Amino acid sequence: MNARVVIAEDAALFRAGLTRLIEDHGHRVCAAVGDGGALLAAVAKHQPDVVVADIRMPPTHTDEGLRAALEIRSQHPRTAVLVLSQYIETRYTSRLLEGNAAGAGYLLKERVADVAEFVDALERVATGGTALDPEVVGQLLRVSRRADGVAALTARERHVLALMAEGRSNAGIASALVVTGGTVEKHVASIFDKLGLPQDEADNRRVLAVLRYLSS
Amino acid sequence: MGLPVITPTTDPPPGSQTRARSPWAVARRAVVAPSTRRAGRELLFCLAGLPFAVVNPLVLFVLIVDMIWLVAGGGRGNPSPADMAIAGVCVGLLLVLLVSTTAARRLGSLQRVLAARLLGLRVAAPPSVRRRPGGRAWPGPGPRDGAGWRVVVYQLAKLPVGLIELYAVSLWIGGLVNLSYPLLWGAFRNHPPGVRLSPLPVFTPFGWFGDGTFRVATFPGTFAAAAAGAAMLLAAPWVTRAVTSVDAWLIRGLLGPGRLVQRVQDLELSRALAVDDSAALLRRLERNLHDGAQIRLATLAMNLGMAREKLGDGGEVPDAAAVRELVDAALRGAKDALGELRSLARGIHPPVLDNGLADALASLAADSAIPVELEVSIPVRPTPAIETIAYFCAAELLTNAAKHSFANKIAIRAAGHRDVLLLSVADDGTGGADPARGSGLSGLAQRVAVVDGRLTIASPPGGPTKTTVELPLRA
Repeated sequence: MNARVVIAEDAALFRAGLTRLIEDHGHRVCAAVGDGGALLAAVAKHQPDVVVADIRMPPTHTDEGLRAALEIRSQHPRTAVLVLSQYIETRYTSRLLEGNAAGAGYLLKERVADVAEFVDALERVATGGTALDPEVVGQLLRVSRRADGVAALTARERHVLALMAEGRSNAGIASALVVTGGTVEKHVASIFDKLGLPQDEADNRRVLAVLRYLSS
Repeated sequence: MGLPVITPTTDPPPGSQTRARSPWAVARRAVVAPSTRRAGRELLFCLAGLPFAVVNPLVLFVLIVDMIWLVAGGGRGNPSPADMAIAGVCVGLLLVLLVSTTAARRLGSLQRVLAARLLGLRVAAPPSVRRRPGGRAWPGPGPRDGAGWRVVVYQLAKLPVGLIELYAVSLWIGGLVNLSYPLLWGAFRNHPPGVRLSPLPVFTPFGWFGDGTFRVATFPGTFAAAAAGAAMLLAAPWVTRAVTSVDAWLIRGLLGPGRLVQRVQDLELSRALAVDDSAALLRRLERNLHDGAQIRLATLAMNLGMAREKLGDGGEVPDAAAVRELVDAALRGAKDALGELRSLARGIHPPVLDNGLADALASLAADSAIPVELEVSIPVRPTPAIETIAYFCAAELLTNAAKHSFANKIAIRAAGHRDVLLLSVADDGTGGADPARGSGLSGLAQRVAVVDGRLTIASPPGGPTKTTVELPLRA
């Protein structure tokens, strides 16, 4: 695919590196800006496929990027949003994914070091999928009040559950675990059965179901 | 009061304190004293305060005894001990009522307003009583309101003071009346000769209406009265000033917040400052980490990630130049991140401070862009907290001087005198440092105030600037 990307990040070096990384992988960076206001303007102008936005930007240095992301998601539903942060903050992710996990992602900044994974997550989000940072999923699993439900799963199933929560498709899970698609399907069916969740085909709705289960 | 004193003025010009007052100037001052506005305001204060002197336990007691005596005994004989006992109880109950409702506090605040308007004496109001959880029967602060009782004590003391104030007022009036005698004589006493007139009584400070003093019966005699009046008018402002300063002293001591309460207020304030300061410090630290080392390391990881990807899984490297460039960038990033962390760590606690303030100040001086002359004599080592505050004060003041003063040299002095550490930073620059204009100075003053220290800035426009920080040796 060849996505059109807008980047919002206030640290100039990181912004430049991100631009280079994304362009190296065949996508086009339409604009790279340094704050929330400029991001909204750039999105309105370029109507990109996906936005990569830092959460903390000037002028308030709090959650500018997240608020801009939420506005983009309501104003420009066809633009996907991948939020980058230096924090494992499950409340940010639940605000971002509230009601609709399609075309949304939340990753820690250090994920860019694993270039292939990062580009995969970016492309997944750009095509309407979901990307949730493994650390955030881990945090959700740790603090989940549904600990008994999760405890009923086998270790392998827990791993599959985490990968599902990250937003991966069955094929993605299969390649990550180096197993066949059929095996993954069997695990997924077993997980949904044990947790009492309704089976759903679409990956992003599946993510929501899992997240809702973990945080309820 | 531990708050910073910030006086953006210079020292008085040399010689001003030792300037001798000529006898001529003293005489001139004495003559104009009665006509100054200050004397007028003090006189007004004496007059305005008189009604307050009536609200007095003793006066109330006498009034109530008389009332009981009139009602019960019909005004015959002397009041019986029982009458007095009842009156005493009544006065006690009245006082409790006065204190329990807000009446005593209102009385106090009225007199504080008078003192502020007429004497320019600003006394803070005592803190309002906090409602204790749980029901309370009193409509006001209750009978245990210390501030209310201190108003009662003030009222008690106000009786003798008020009488002297009345005396001061009588000096003014008597003086004026005496002074007008020659005129009065001319206007009303030009009777034909042979008419016998009763002599005029002359007011003097020593007796009223002629008792034990002198009377004048002739026109030339009125000039003697006028001279006495002039003397009284010359003395009146000084008597007024003396008695109003006693009153002011009482007001400061009894109508303001008590010394302990004041101290508690100061401590509450400085505790709030300390809490704010440490919260701000942590926020700044997090911000520096987030925007500094953390993002540099993320960038470095990204560069290495891209380089790793370009290296492939073995064999020929198609784009070795790009890889080299990325690794170079990562290396630079690592060095920058290290530098960032080092300065951050130094900002939290400079390691050299462990060797004492003298070493730390020397290292600051060595880093300064403007030449620094350093003089340290601290016989007793302060506690680490004080050393840290002193160090950061010196660092901030040096930075300020380097940024704004255009100075050619800076002198830092640190000296321990008994239990006080005195730190001064002086430069020969352009001056005009003003803590109100959002520089770091107000922050410094806050930090210093937390340990009951004082920050004094003398920085007239045009320079030089000298900032003195006074800190206790232990905190």
